[in-house]
Amino acid sequence: MSPAPANAEVTAVDTTGRWPLLLLLVSAIKWLVLSGVLALIASIQLIQPSFLADCVVFTHGRTVALTETAFIYGWGANAGLAIALWVLGRLGGAPLRALNWAVVGTIFWNLSVLLGLVGIATGDATGVGLLQMPRYVQPVMLVAYGAIGVAGVLAWLGRRHECTFAAQWYAVAALFLFPWIFSAAQVTLFWLPVRGVLQAVAGGWFAQGAWTLWLAPLGLAGAYFVVPKVTGRTLPSYDFAPHAFWCLLVLGAVTGGRHLIGGPVPAWIASLAIVACSLLLFHYFVVFINLRGAFGAGGTALKLVAFGLGAYVLGGLVDAITAFRGVALVTQFTHVDTAQEQLALYGGFSMMIFGAIYYAVPRLTGQSWASAALVRGHAMLAMLGVTALVVSLTVAGWIQGHELLDAKVTFADIASHTRFWLLLAVAAQAVLLLGNLLLLVNFCWSACRACCPAEPADSVAFRQPAAMEAPAS
Amino acid sequence: MNAPSQSDPRLEQAAVTDESLLAAHEKVLGRRPDDQGHYRLLPLNLLFVFAGLIFFSGTYLNLYSGHFNPAIYNEHAKPHTGAAEAVAVDPVALGKKIFTGTCQTCHQITGLGLPGAIPPLAGSEWVMGPEERVIRAVMYGVQGAIKVKGADFSSAMPPNGKVPGSGFNLSDDKIAAVLTYVRQEWGNTGGPITTEQVAAIHAKEGEHKQWTSEELLKIQ
Repeated sequence: MSPAPANAEVTAVDTTGRWPLLLLLVSAIKWLVLSGVLALIASIQLIQPSFLADCVVFTHGRTVALTETAFIYGWGANAGLAIALWVLGRLGGAPLRALNWAVVGTIFWNLSVLLGLVGIATGDATGVGLLQMPRYVQPVMLVAYGAIGVAGVLAWLGRRHECTFAAQWYAVAALFLFPWIFSAAQVTLFWLPVRGVLQAVAGGWFAQGAWTLWLAPLGLAGAYFVVPKVTGRTLPSYDFAPHAFWCLLVLGAVTGGRHLIGGPVPAWIASLAIVACSLLLFHYFVVFINLRGAFGAGGTALKLVAFGLGAYVLGGLVDAITAFRGVALVTQFTHVDTAQEQLALYGGFSMMIFGAIYYAVPRLTGQSWASAALVRGHAMLAMLGVTALVVSLTVAGWIQGHELLDAKVTFADIASHTRFWLLLAVAAQAVLLLGNLLLLVNFCWSACRACCPAEPADSVAFRQPAAMEAPAS
Repeated sequence: MNAPSQSDPRLEQAAVTDESLLAAHEKVLGRRPDDQGHYRLLPLNLLFVFAGLIFFSGTYLNLYSGHFNPAIYNEHAKPHTGAAEAVAVDPVALGKKIFTGTCQTCHQITGLGLPGAIPPLAGSEWVMGPEERVIRAVMYGVQGAIKVKGADFSSAMPPNGKVPGSGFNLSDDKIAAVLTYVRQEWGNTGGPITTEQVAAIHAKEGEHKQWTSEELLKIQ
């Protein structure tokens, strides 16, 4: 172990949390790369249906389910938890406790995800969106999540400072809300299944809740921490941050019904969801005002956070628009749905988390990233890939949605009209995969360098941070 | 060791410490009530945005929520005004129900009555005969001797309509229904009788007493 640095920027939180948090992060990036490979296969199958079609494990339905599961539970959960624990530790001001629990939890969580993926590939999938893992691994995941989360809860309860910050609210909320929605969905869908259309309502509620109540707060926890740390200025209009927080928590899961428009459910469920999507604009608006300092300042990490923030707010706006029945008539069940999901999960959540990772890892390892070119390369490829993916899928979905409403156009014609845009989506997936490989290489390289007792000669020194000036009132 | 540089992508430098970040933001939240004890107002633009969103949402829910009725699946459905729509009742079905409760004890389910005591309805010339007679017989009752299908009977038939001394107080439409039923059951071939026909006789005869067969036979 390297001696504790004299610099105030690398704290005891970082040195004690180094290996458990790096374990979470390396698991996350590994799943991200795997999910990228699967996403590439799935997107090739959209333009070349015979691709791997003879192999039962890689039929299109399974590759899509595998991609989604590896992304959400592999990448999203591990990376989000690592950032949440780290932010809670840093702002709590005391070294993280119960980290041995977190390590055990991480191992079991990732074994469960692996088992879940094998289960999906061999035909044990459940058929509920975002909960496709076989039901036998899901209770294990719940327990493993709890073991990881204990460290975060202890850091929150044992914080040294009386006051709290928005990043902590979002991190703690995500820690507590996921076990709630995950267990409630398991009970209502698998163990004591509700009947009939209520299953669709419960499934929609979970799918939306996993985004609005879990992944979005995890991403925001990272963004709310990194932005003021790097810019050095208090967040503008910060006094509205609590309103934005509670707005998301109260309205977030209600928006699930928007996926049930036109379905066999009472009209008020969809109407309430549409209204909740509109009201959530207040949340997006306030978050944008709070974090707008991220634009045009700082280095690569902050640029990634800024990109994520832009995508997050844009995603909220698009959500509110496409929720309306008139628009949903065209966009529902087309590639536009996928584009929206990618805009939120990749453009919003992942970019904010990438930014937080680029900010956090040098603190955790005690030295700068191994390669500047790999950092720049990954950031550029990720921004390019996400933009190309979302644009191409949106255009393809818009064409598809309009032509599906026209009874004279055949499916084969629709497929040929969208072919160019789906090819572009394949290219975008390849770009994203390449970028994520760069991240994996750079991460492993940096982690290995942290094992050496001697600090590498080319490491960038940490600058001593100043005290933040309170805004003049 | 390189000179610290903000532009080096390998390390994003921190500008401020964690403690001062917490303290500075807490101060923003903490200063909300000002010195005079007044609360800070929302900035006008945020107030307008939020008020507009809430107004829109309320209107939308009012128009398209189906009044939160779990049975309404179409968001354009109008709620019921409360008045139940009148449903047309099959007079034969209603008549059968009334017959079972009112007439069957004496005339029997077979419509054959009891030989020597109660006259039959099946194949009866009175039942299938002129409507003017059979309506009066059922509404006001019959007393004294009566000849049905060649046999003599002397039992009394009680009044059934909404008339003095009636044990059943059947309304005009129920009289019409039970007569329509009886006139087509057991092979009978009389035509249906409408509520209007019954009401006309009810209005004409008023509070008439029970009829005798001689009086009825005078009516054509």
